[in-house]
Amino acid sequence: MKKLFTLLALTLGLSLSAQQYMTRQGSLTFDAGSPLEDIVAISNSATAVYDVQDGKLGVQVLMTSFEFKRALMQEHFNENYAESEVYPKAVFKGKFEAGRAIGALTIHGVTKDVDVPAKLDLSKETAHLVAEFAVTIEEYGIAIPSAVANKIDKQAKILVDCKLVAK
Amino acid sequence: MRSFVFAFLIFSAVQAFGQEDDLFDLFDDVEEVQLTYATFKGTQLINSATNETPGEGVLQYVIAHRFGSFNDDYLYNFFGLDNAQIRMQLDYGMTDKLNVGIGRSSFLKVADGFIKYKLLQQQTGAKNVPVSLTLNSSINYRNARYTDGVQHYTSDRISYLHQAIIARKWNRKLSTLVSPSIVHFNLVPTAQDPNTTAHLTLGGRYKITNRMALTGEGTLMSNREFSSGERYTTPFALGVDIETGGHVFQLHISNTRALNGPFWMARNPYSASNGGLFLGFNISRVFTVKE
Repeated sequence: MKKLFTLLALTLGLSLSAQQYMTRQGSLTFDAGSPLEDIVAISNSATAVYDVQDGKLGVQVLMTSFEFKRALMQEHFNENYAESEVYPKAVFKGKFEAGRAIGALTIHGVTKDVDVPAKLDLSKETAHLVAEFAVTIEEYGIAIPSAVANKIDKQAKILVDCKLVAK
Repeated sequence: MRSFVFAFLIFSAVQAFGQEDDLFDLFDDVEEVQLTYATFKGTQLINSATNETPGEGVLQYVIAHRFGSFNDDYLYNFFGLDNAQIRMQLDYGMTDKLNVGIGRSSFLKVADGFIKYKLLQQQTGAKNVPVSLTLNSSINYRNARYTDGVQHYTSDRISYLHQAIIARKWNRKLSTLVSPSIVHFNLVPTAQDPNTTAHLTLGGRYKITNRMALTGEGTLMSNREFSSGERYTTPFALGVDIETGGHVFQLHISNTRALNGPFWMARNPYSASNGGLFLGFNISRVFTVKE
């Protein structure tokens, strides 16, 4: 019986250390604005997962969940740039290590290795992930027509702000 | 019993490990509603209305021209430009679904008002809706003087169009629409002629690039002869949509010149076989009034 309790404690311990956090209401801001045009969109339905034990970190967002102030801009974003019907998601899969998020970022069907600064505030119940970085739009195979080239910041700023909850 | 519990514990421990490996699988069981967007580029396909409305707080200005026919002194009339019909339209998105607008056309000096409402939007994911459904109604007032020497009531000048626009975006390139429509004229030539007629508009667009598309439409059940001897034909049009930022240019060739629903749909006297073909264009420009 004693053995059993030891085992039980061990298993519990294991499952505690295998603590996972998750949210489906993460916030992601996309800003490719310039002095000529305000191009900002927010999604409040990003999925983020984090595993304490092995440091695995993942963030995913549906492109159509980005909300722009202007309906037409949102339509152009999905229809002409992100091509959301063909590439519905942007995904980051990687690890959180010593204040950095390191892994593979897939946008518009193109996967690139990224290594960006990130902050993760961990408590027993929540994990708050904040990261701010820039992506070069053209590196992900998204062409910017010359007619609008000076309205769009080729270095789009991405702000990740996700409050994950222990599973 | 003991070994059973032991096995159970081992099993649950293994399960806990197993879950970790599949952490990113959590990404795949997202069952969110994916609304279909941009079934058509514009709120009009060519002559007919599409299921689209401008978004909330968006003011849209549309200017449309239908030039003179190819068989009417075409070069003398500068490719028909000299006797163009024109319609201007101003409309506003009250909400993302509700759109109201007014227009004025030089053809019979018709002034019109319309209301358009998106009842259903095509979507996939958590909820599957295969088509979009938009309702559209217009009231049209003829300002042109009557030349028949008869005293007319104000109500004689009014006609209506009511339609349900059923649209589907099959893939990113192909979208089609089917619009069962009712046209009502308060005044018809003789008592034997119907005031109310039913019509069926079919239309589609095929994108050739991200910003350009081919369009086409035709309206069935419009080909009829009134007892007064007036013959009305099947309206059709072929065109191209070109989008540049806030503008949509629609260039087309059609067998119609009137620019108000009841007139081009139910009272089109032109026939392509007699050279009744017209160049035309619609240009729309949107302004975000309220962000």
